[in-house]
Amino acid sequence: MRGAVYNLGISNVIPKSVTRVSRSAPCLRFALQLSFVMLGLAIAARAVDWNAPEQQLARKIVAVTGPGAVAFSVENRSSLGRRDNEVIQNGLRGALEGLGIRFVKADQGAATVAISLSENPASYVWVAQIRQGAGEVAVVMVSAPRGEGSAAMHDSVPLSLRKTPLWAQDDPILDVVVLEENTVPARIAVLDPEKVSLYRMQGGKWQQEQTAGIVHARPWPRDMRGRLMPARDHLLDVYLPGLICHSTTGTPLTLNCRESDDPWPLVSGTLNGGTLSVFPSAGLGNGASTVIPQLSAFFASTRNFFTGALTPGVGRFTTVSKFYSAALLPRDKYTLWLFAATDGQVHMVDGVTDQPARLGWGSDLASVKTACGAGWQVLATSAGEPGDSVRAYEFPDRDPVPVSAAIEFSGAITAFWTEARGDTAIVVVRDRQTGDYEAFRLALACSQ
Amino acid sequence: MRPFDWRWLVVSSLLAGALAADAETRTQYGGTAHVAMRAAPTSLDPADGTQPDSFARRSLTMLMFDTLVTTDENEHVQAALATSWQASTGNQRWQFRLRHGVKFHDGTPLTAEVAAASLRAANPSWNVLVDADSVVIERDGADPELLAELALPRNAIAKRNSDSKPSGTGPFHIVDWQPAKRLTLAAEEACWRGRPFLDGVEVEMGRSFRDQMMALDLGKADWVEVAPEQSRRISAEGRLLASSLPIELMALVFTRDVKSADDRMLRESLALSVERGSIRSVLLQGAGQPAASILPNWLSGYAFVFPTDADLPRARHAREQVRTIPTWSVGYDGSDPVARLLAERIALNARDAGLSLQPTTANAADLRLVRISLASPDPWIALANAAALTGMPPVKSTGGSVEDLYAAEQAALATQRIIPLFHLPVSYAVATTLKNWTLRRDGSWSLADAWIGSGKP
Repeated sequence: MRGAVYNLGISNVIPKSVTRVSRSAPCLRFALQLSFVMLGLAIAARAVDWNAPEQQLARKIVAVTGPGAVAFSVENRSSLGRRDNEVIQNGLRGALEGLGIRFVKADQGAATVAISLSENPASYVWVAQIRQGAGEVAVVMVSAPRGEGSAAMHDSVPLSLRKTPLWAQDDPILDVVVLEENTVPARIAVLDPEKVSLYRMQGGKWQQEQTAGIVHARPWPRDMRGRLMPARDHLLDVYLPGLICHSTTGTPLTLNCRESDDPWPLVSGTLNGGTLSVFPSAGLGNGASTVIPQLSAFFASTRNFFTGALTPGVGRFTTVSKFYSAALLPRDKYTLWLFAATDGQVHMVDGVTDQPARLGWGSDLASVKTACGAGWQVLATSAGEPGDSVRAYEFPDRDPVPVSAAIEFSGAITAFWTEARGDTAIVVVRDRQTGDYEAFRLALACSQ
Repeated sequence: MRPFDWRWLVVSSLLAGALAADAETRTQYGGTAHVAMRAAPTSLDPADGTQPDSFARRSLTMLMFDTLVTTDENEHVQAALATSWQASTGNQRWQFRLRHGVKFHDGTPLTAEVAAASLRAANPSWNVLVDADSVVIERDGADPELLAELALPRNAIAKRNSDSKPSGTGPFHIVDWQPAKRLTLAAEEACWRGRPFLDGVEVEMGRSFRDQMMALDLGKADWVEVAPEQSRRISAEGRLLASSLPIELMALVFTRDVKSADDRMLRESLALSVERGSIRSVLLQGAGQPAASILPNWLSGYAFVFPTDADLPRARHAREQVRTIPTWSVGYDGSDPVARLLAERIALNARDAGLSLQPTTANAADLRLVRISLASPDPWIALANAAALTGMPPVKSTGGSVEDLYAAEQAALATQRIIPLFHLPVSYAVATTLKNWTLRRDGSWSLADAWIGSGKP
């Protein structure tokens, strides 16, 4: 009975299929198109073979009844669906017939065999209650391993927000950065609390290239957060609570970590003459880069939020309320910053004013640059059942206007960062049922 | 295959909607959670066998202490104070390597010596040794359930000091302890799992269900217990209700073994006479499930083969085989609001079968109406523990098939020491400001990762 495994319902085929593959290979399907192709294979692969427990139970039944005529019934007391129920019922009938059983009506059989398809946390439990004449009821049973199960495809309606699965694992994912890509990601780095792992897509599967451990003396906060930043002169910088690591340039990948309360950059990009040339590939028609002043924020090393201290600041503000996340919206002559504060409000800071508002948003914000609409959208999380969701908004003035339908996830969003390229975001979700962490790239399809 | 919702947590749908409307998605630090409970333990020592096992006691233990291993929501064993383990000699010898850098709340480091001493105190029959930074447990025979056993709160690692406050490594440390009355806990800043989000937890003990609900309504409690028979009403009133799967066994337990063939017939007659279905509908207000087995169906998968319907003709027939009918006294817990009604109703059923039962609150009784908190989501441990509590012969796990488990349970029931009546869920009412609490499958709760949302100071 040990090693009990619950086979939870699968709310979304795509991330789950990623999860399965990532465990066994580990590898991933990286592109949505590829996911659909693989989906059929995945579902087919999940078809559970009930033959062994069917044969086993049939033998146990016949050991009691012997060959002959029996009245036979099956009741499903488990989570098995109608299709599996029918498959098992037919399988049992076939197995019993193969052992010399003939099926007759209840009043014509020498015995009645009532089979219940039940389950416990570890397995399916199939129980046969056998009555012969007026004698005692004999009980025989077998256990059948739980299969992966199929699931209905969700999200059949096209959405403006599109998610592409990148990676899934048991351990928390703090951030994922795409290091190389052509039309689809070809090399990624995955940050978890204890290591950075590099994976390369080879032959349609993610193959682990290297792993570099993170050495830390202090315990991590419970709601652990971290950030990966591509660097110009080396591969990556890693920002963790109270710890900053710089990777080596070449192979093997190693991390030089030091305890540090240095601020975390709030915008990604490469340094360009005192400002950050942010998001150079973000789809601006004239090919120009959007230039945004650098902004960093201090992270509370034993908590899950930024302290509110900014450097160099937004206009006259070098301090704002403690916040979980920030998003930017470039305007003609300034940049509007949105801070999701720990008090549940969103603070809109333009350098002159700090305007708080209760927008009913979640704690995590990101902004993306697109080639349509106002050009910049804020992606905001929202709590919900069974999982959190993300929706895109624009700010014509200071009031948000939703510009997409909400896209729902299968659990709580645990990390949400704008990618270095600026036109997509990384969202990490802890699947409510499996407990696995799943990273997606979130893009806004503006044509919708 | 349709998804099977194995989640043991059931939140009333009305308030699930309210939760969905809540915007917060990330945890917040600060605040104190107020908990009320009926149990009134006089000791916080996880290994103190004089304290009755209860869901409340398990919950408190895991706020202050850690076990070598834990089990996750899927019953997979996870590392805790032990980072790795290895079994040898046919699961008889287990070696657990301890996590480095863990300190007790008194500032002293976790060592193999202290961990071994703690396990010896909890399990005097075990041979627990120290091997460098490892703890070695040697059992007489193969023990495939050892990991699940070590995950039980009673096997939490405690450093026993001279005072009544054992030191643990858990997320909260003791600030004030008034036995059986009040416990004040504060966040352990250096907790190896990370500081909890709450600043503290205050626990009021020995409070009736009614007082607890009043405290919740007045905003003086965030987490209170709910009697099973009250759970539907509480939910209908729009409160946030959390319920486990049925994990508590209500049963009649005889205080002695069967002593004669007549005794056996009378016990069978009593078991057949109890109208579990109508008792559940009326007295328990539809809570729980009628039971004729020790393990609930969700745990075993076969409980339905034990019939729960009353069979008065058979009960009378069994009773008629006996010439002299004794009057049995049925003891019940006078502080349990529904126990007296249940005992009286069972006595009425028994009278219909020609038996004579006399309910009493006295300790000395021929049989007792008891609630047994099943010890673990591991069926073998749950069965073995229930057998030990009710005076049945020891149940030894074979680690084998479900049929072996069925045979073991059937043998336990054949002793006729116990007449199972109901499997009940454990229910709690929760303040909507308390977030991210956990209701474990063993019926205990955890506030280690809980936090208080905005709207409450």
